[in-house]
Amino acid sequence: MKRIYLMICLLLLVVSFQILPAQETTDQPGVLKLPPEEYLPPMHLDDPALEEVLRKINGVDPYEVPDLELKRDKTYARTAEDVEPYSGVVPFKEHFLEQMPYTGPGRAIPEPEQVDTVKLGFIGPIMSTVSVATGGKSHEEPLGIQMLKGARLAIEQANARGGYKDRSIPFELVVTNDNGLWGASGNEIVTMAYKDNVWAILGTIDGANSHIAIRVALKAEIPMMNTGDTDPTFIETNIPWVFRCISDDRQMGYLLVDYLYRKMGYKRVGLIRASNRYGRFGVREVKDGSRRLGQPIALEMAYTLGTDDFGLQLDRLVQADVEAIVHWGNGGDAARILNQMRARGMDQPFFASDRAVSEEFVQIAGKNAEGVMCPYPWDPERTDAKLDYFRQAFRDRFGVEPDTYATHGYDGMNMLIWATQVAGLNRAKIRDVLAYRTKPWPGVSGDIYLTAAMDDVGEVSMARFENGKWSFYTREDLEVPQGFIPARDRISREATGDLE
Amino acid sequence: MKVSLEFGFYGKSIITSLLLGGLISPVVAEEASPDPAGIELPYVYTNWKTFTTKDGLPNDHIFAVEAVGPEVWIGTENGLARLDKKTGEIQSWTEKDGLPWKVISALAYSEKTGELWIGLFGGGLARYSAGRFDHWHQLNSGLVNDVVYGIALENDNVWIATTAGASRYNTVTGEWAIFTEKNAPMEEIWNYGVSYNDGKVYLGVWGSGVLEYEVATGNWKDYLDPDGEMEIDLYRDDGIVHVITTGTSYIDGILWVSTYFGASRYDGRHWRGYFAHECGLPSDFINAIQGRSGTEAWFATDKGVGALADFETDTWVTYTRDTQTNEGLAIVSRGPEILKEVRSGINIPHNYTLWTEMDGNDVWIGTSKGLAWGIGEGYYRGLKAATPAKADSGPGTDEPNTTPVRR
Repeated sequence: MKRIYLMICLLLLVVSFQILPAQETTDQPGVLKLPPEEYLPPMHLDDPALEEVLRKINGVDPYEVPDLELKRDKTYARTAEDVEPYSGVVPFKEHFLEQMPYTGPGRAIPEPEQVDTVKLGFIGPIMSTVSVATGGKSHEEPLGIQMLKGARLAIEQANARGGYKDRSIPFELVVTNDNGLWGASGNEIVTMAYKDNVWAILGTIDGANSHIAIRVALKAEIPMMNTGDTDPTFIETNIPWVFRCISDDRQMGYLLVDYLYRKMGYKRVGLIRASNRYGRFGVREVKDGSRRLGQPIALEMAYTLGTDDFGLQLDRLVQADVEAIVHWGNGGDAARILNQMRARGMDQPFFASDRAVSEEFVQIAGKNAEGVMCPYPWDPERTDAKLDYFRQAFRDRFGVEPDTYATHGYDGMNMLIWATQVAGLNRAKIRDVLAYRTKPWPGVSGDIYLTAAMDDVGEVSMARFENGKWSFYTREDLEVPQGFIPARDRISREATGDLE
Repeated sequence: MKVSLEFGFYGKSIITSLLLGGLISPVVAEEASPDPAGIELPYVYTNWKTFTTKDGLPNDHIFAVEAVGPEVWIGTENGLARLDKKTGEIQSWTEKDGLPWKVISALAYSEKTGELWIGLFGGGLARYSAGRFDHWHQLNSGLVNDVVYGIALENDNVWIATTAGASRYNTVTGEWAIFTEKNAPMEEIWNYGVSYNDGKVYLGVWGSGVLEYEVATGNWKDYLDPDGEMEIDLYRDDGIVHVITTGTSYIDGILWVSTYFGASRYDGRHWRGYFAHECGLPSDFINAIQGRSGTEAWFATDKGVGALADFETDTWVTYTRDTQTNEGLAIVSRGPEILKEVRSGINIPHNYTLWTEMDGNDVWIGTSKGLAWGIGEGYYRGLKAATPAKADSGPGTDEPNTTPVRR
């Protein structure tokens, strides 16, 4: 039976490949226009502190570990005291406060004597596929295609600026599709690591596939930059090869619960979410934060991906007498749920995850979109000439506006390019310069400072659809109160009586 | 005798706490004294042999080791090897020899059939028998995924832990079974390790703790971190220390569990957690685990090998390579207290260790830079009364010199 199913899947996969050229691709002809140099990302050593790092990582033999100071964070993920798990108890052990070192022999692997191109990998959902993990449909390829465009623009710009170490050796983007089918992302990472011999990999979006990919990256010892998976647990794995340059659902969840309870004072909030990993893990911080702030979620309803009728879930939410509704899932589903709510006369404020900040949501929701609010992983309305030049270059090249996935894909790929330029063709050293960089990365999405867990916990924003467009507000703009974030870890706090 | 205070990558918390507490100092450590009187100590391996590509291995990155009588099978990042323990000769196989895929992540030898089962990292499952490789993968079998992390033999079945679920292959009937979230209590399906003993299959599942499958009944049972949080371990001994599990080993009715956040032991009623900051575990980042008995287990970590030699007394032996002197260093500790140091010639070729294998009185350690064979002549379980220290024979020899730490 499984063989028949596999055959069908393969057939559909082949069909999807055939269809692809008719869909949007990322290599359509366009004009590559370079912004002025000062508005482009660093291509060379720009952090004086890294000179010492380079001296140390270049000076070790296979058996030594460079004597580098590990990052230490005072609190995990800038978590306010009153939304910490078991905040009244001092845990036996806290994780992720100290950076994970890489202690293997990889730094001593010599660079290849000659390369024609410098390969960097990309994995993302870019082709329409049938997937068990996504409910028999594919939903994420619009996001993946934007991410690929951002990564491709970074590569093309780097090549236009001289390529690898200004030696006219081009960077080559090795592109693979992440179709979520039977854990295929793991196979793709194996292929890129052992056959294509890429130096680092960027991807992916789906939380399950991201986890599969980083487990392979750990064993194959290859740096992996994530720019689109906002699952908080992605980085909570202690893998020293993994980086993420986008704020996650934890940070967005913190802002949302602060807005719901500390700002608006709601007492009964209902959840409706996709029955997949994105929905399941995305709402965790909202659920936990609600409970910890004394307002447990009144009702949580899940729906199967691909469902068009949300009547059952909405009936239950009406019965639960909720004051506001939070949705975590894809933008199209958010719009359909919102429309069905309003059609039933449900007038509760509607909050949704960041995937609703999309053209698809606006088109489907129509006038119902007005007033909808979504936490968002960055502030796209920030004033930054780098961002403006990036957007212009993106439009020139691809003829469309870059979204969140394109923007972070561009930043993430530029970080990998920079690390390769600085460290040379050695995976462990590429990992090192990213891990031990002391200055924030000057991204077009904002300054990116990686924590000890190699995660970006930069400021998130709140999007509100008003007057026919999305507007973005910071915590300060909306005057959203926040709990106290202690300056010490929980165990130390207890020892010094700081908790009292 | 001059012994430098070089602890390699040994659990730094022990070292730091002792130094800060004024309990030891470099000056003190240079002093030699006999073994502490009246203290029982565990066996310490001091006779080691190492093997690398210079000795004929196809690759130095050793993911898996399977000791079978006079031979040892070795799975590397670039091929399969077989070592003859008596002669030291190594035979190897790569893709050009018919090995279906070069990266070998797991090995299991069937005493019943004489077949070697090979987990291929990204290449599926292979069997080596009578000089021939057979190959199973996603598209020609019921193997759920080609990225294989672990293999275990259970009666006529081969269990395969893959990145997208577990598969079971009956070697007699040819029947396959797949275990995912659909038919097993896997919150996640990312299987990492699998082991079998005494009627129970244990899966170490990344993000889903440990799953126990009772062969006689077909029933599943799951073991999760009771606090349910990724960023903390609320109480040490309330369950497995974390759900990101990497390996399991079941022996004498005791379940040993390794994670990237520490280790656990379960006797069916009580749990015990282990973290590097409070015992001889060199690091909380544990790549593999092997229980030798209900009271002894070996942990392959990114900072050396930790052997819990005696559970009852929490006595450990930690093996590291001193990268400055190229000496092997073994530290005997009891909880956070260091009892003794033993220096010898090189023990493990690299501190980034990936595998441990018990072989009678001997042990095998797979590292990222070669294979180590610890020869356990005179090995004993548990503890024995300490004997007077032997005279210093200097580094680079097989004779240990001891450096007790005055407390």
